[in-house]
Amino acid sequence: MIYLKGIKKSFNQLPVLKGINLKIEKGEVVTILGPSGSGKTTLLRCLNFLEKPNAGLVQIGNIIVDAEKATKKEMLAIRKQSAMVFQHYNLFAHKTVVENVMEGLIVAKKVKKKDARQQSERVLDKVGLSDKLDHYPSQLSGGQQQRVGIARALALNPEVILFDEPTSALDPELVGDVLSVIKSIAQEGITMVVVTHEMSFAREVSNRVLFMDEGVIVEEGTPLEIFHAAKEERTRRFLQRISGETYFLPLKEQVN
Amino acid sequence: MGKAFDIMLIFEFIPTLIHYLGVTLQILAVSIILGFVLGIAAAIPRLYKIPLLNQLVILYVSFIRGTPILIQLFLVFYGLPALLMLLFSIDITRMEAIYFVIITYAISNGAGFSEIFRAAIRAVDYGQTEAAFSVGMTSRQNFFRIVLPQAVRIAFPNMANSVIGSLKDTSLAFTIGVMDMMGRGDTLIAATAHALEVYLSLSIIYYIVVLLFEKIFSKLEKYFNRYQKADVTAVA
Amino acid sequence: MTIDIPFIWVAFKEIIKALPITLILTIVPLLAGFLIGIVVALVRIYKLKYLYRIANGYVSFFRGTPIIMHIMVIYFGFPLLLDQISLRFDLGLQTNNIPIILFVLIALTLAAGSYLSEIIRSGIISVSNGQLEAAYSVGMTKFQAMIRIILPQALAQSIPNFTNIFVGFLHTSSIAFLVSQKEVTGAANIVASVNLKFLEAFIAAGIIYWGITILVEGISFLLEKKVTAYNRGGVS
Ligand SMILES: Nc1ncnc2c1ncn2[C@@H]1O[C@H](COP(=O)(O)OP(=O)(O)O)[C@@H](O)[C@H]1O
Ligand SMILES: [Mg+2]
Repeated sequence: MIYLKGIKKSFNQLPVLKGINLKIEKGEVVTILGPSGSGKTTLLRCLNFLEKPNAGLVQIGNIIVDAEKATKKEMLAIRKQSAMVFQHYNLFAHKTVVENVMEGLIVAKKVKKKDARQQSERVLDKVGLSDKLDHYPSQLSGGQQQRVGIARALALNPEVILFDEPTSALDPELVGDVLSVIKSIAQEGITMVVVTHEMSFAREVSNRVLFMDEGVIVEEGTPLEIFHAAKEERTRRFLQRISGETYFLPLKEQVN
Repeated sequence: MGKAFDIMLIFEFIPTLIHYLGVTLQILAVSIILGFVLGIAAAIPRLYKIPLLNQLVILYVSFIRGTPILIQLFLVFYGLPALLMLLFSIDITRMEAIYFVIITYAISNGAGFSEIFRAAIRAVDYGQTEAAFSVGMTSRQNFFRIVLPQAVRIAFPNMANSVIGSLKDTSLAFTIGVMDMMGRGDTLIAATAHALEVYLSLSIIYYIVVLLFEKIFSKLEKYFNRYQKADVTAVA
Repeated sequence: MTIDIPFIWVAFKEIIKALPITLILTIVPLLAGFLIGIVVALVRIYKLKYLYRIANGYVSFFRGTPIIMHIMVIYFGFPLLLDQISLRFDLGLQTNNIPIILFVLIALTLAAGSYLSEIIRSGIISVSNGQLEAAYSVGMTKFQAMIRIILPQALAQSIPNFTNIFVGFLHTSSIAFLVSQKEVTGAANIVASVNLKFLEAFIAAGIIYWGITILVEGISFLLEKKVTAYNRGGVS
């Protein structure tokens, strides 16, 4: 379970998160939508203390940390409960594919090297990369790199995986592969928080959709509620702008 | 001096001089290793902005960058005994010259290396650190497992240049009386009065050693860069 | 052994009188070497038949051997060579009358040429191909494009490298004291030996080199900002 209470974060006096409250149940898949600059990335990064919130409470699993007096140890504990998939992959450039996945297991989870390798190979098989184990990141396409990034997160078997626009740096034809990998792990019941602009993903995969704007959660609900019956004007305008046509398509499908 | 140039002498001198290459390489190796340690120690206060130490390192690097190695050599040669006498009443005036040379070159290399390390560590993408944190590494684990190995690759070409520069600088050690190749060359000149042939022989030896080093370094660099196959699709 | 601090100032005032010679030994070789450097860089970039092999060999050898060798070989070799020529053509040259500083200048010029050519070459290579194509597209010849478009950008980009070379040669000029030139280090050596105050004299010399280095780096920093003004903005 994840619980955020009163999360505030400013950069140089500029408030970016203005008191975020959020509860996510185990196994839930939550997507966060919102215009660029609304604070989505910052929220994710506050969740695993890549950014330290100025105030608020962060709980993941049974670890609870008061952001204001978070120690290094507590931040590390939170990070060990979570894993992240980055927009620009951030694979360890000097490690091979399988080593990238093993790294967290060996260092943070203290798994034996041999076992770590076995587990990593299994996860990499799941994301369809068992033939690239000994390649370096620079020898892979963006889509393949991102699947390694997902495998790296998945291997840690964390309480939650945070995805920050995992497909937005990819060439359009590579987006599908990565999305289907994320979908398949979502169906395994792993808790996920996903920032994305892929509306179809948000609609089909998530249990809950949050809409953020200007550092607050403006509205939240099931995909059906948000996409078809948004209460807030801001939400409706955003959805219209971002996916003018695709937004209406499923309506027709459903009618048929 | 004025003896006629005799090219055959070069073939005679080279074997004699090469016996002393070991001393030169010894000076180089020890001062590089010590310089490496010193360089890391000096880079840390700069990277972590440790007050006072940071300014001290800036001063140290600036001074080394600002003065000729010859002057540094003389300062250590004349200054270190005075300093040790003053502070600890230790008398090292009888210490062999080669140690002064090694100390000087270590101090000099340390300054250069610290700047190289600092730049290299800064050049590693911060996303690597974020990824390391995201899988639960501590700062220390991130530094040693993720940042440092990549920084080494970035630093390597500059390090290699530094080492070769230092190798060439060893040719000045004889000025405080070290019996290396140059020192032996001096005695050869005194004995034969064929200075030109001696210096040509020395040049040839230095040149071959430098070429050898360059070859080895370029092999090593390829090895370090094995995971850097530039691939356009990888660039996000 | 104590250190006589007031004497540092006395030595300083004496030694700084030798600064002009140090500056001559630095600036003249760099200016002359710059011309050599441009020619050699172009020869190597355009791979001019045969010539470029010679150019490659020249750069590799001079960069691969200590500069003290260049000074010594020319110091001892040049008079020998001139004597031979003089003898053969009955010119009656008196090589003993040639001032030693000339030999040092020649040696340092050849060394500077090799280092500068490498910098100029990498500067030229780093200017994007698009610049060359744009120059051709407005009807420039290869030569015009090089002189008007490529070289100015290459040189501007290379200012930090030139600064390093300048500082390097400022320091290298200290080697000239080994052939009894009365530049800063030579003057320091004299002051030191006459007064038997070695440490103080070399501290004074060190301060002079350090000061000049800081000055040169400051000027270069300002110059770089000015000259690369066209490069401002954007992300690079
Ligand atoms: N490290 C930072 N320093 C200063 N400002 C930042 C930093 N990170 C984010 N911001 C600012 O915070 C706001 C929210 O950014 P972000 O969380 O990245 O938004 P989103 O991911 O929704 O596009 C933006 O205005 C951005 O400029
Ligand atoms: Mg973002």
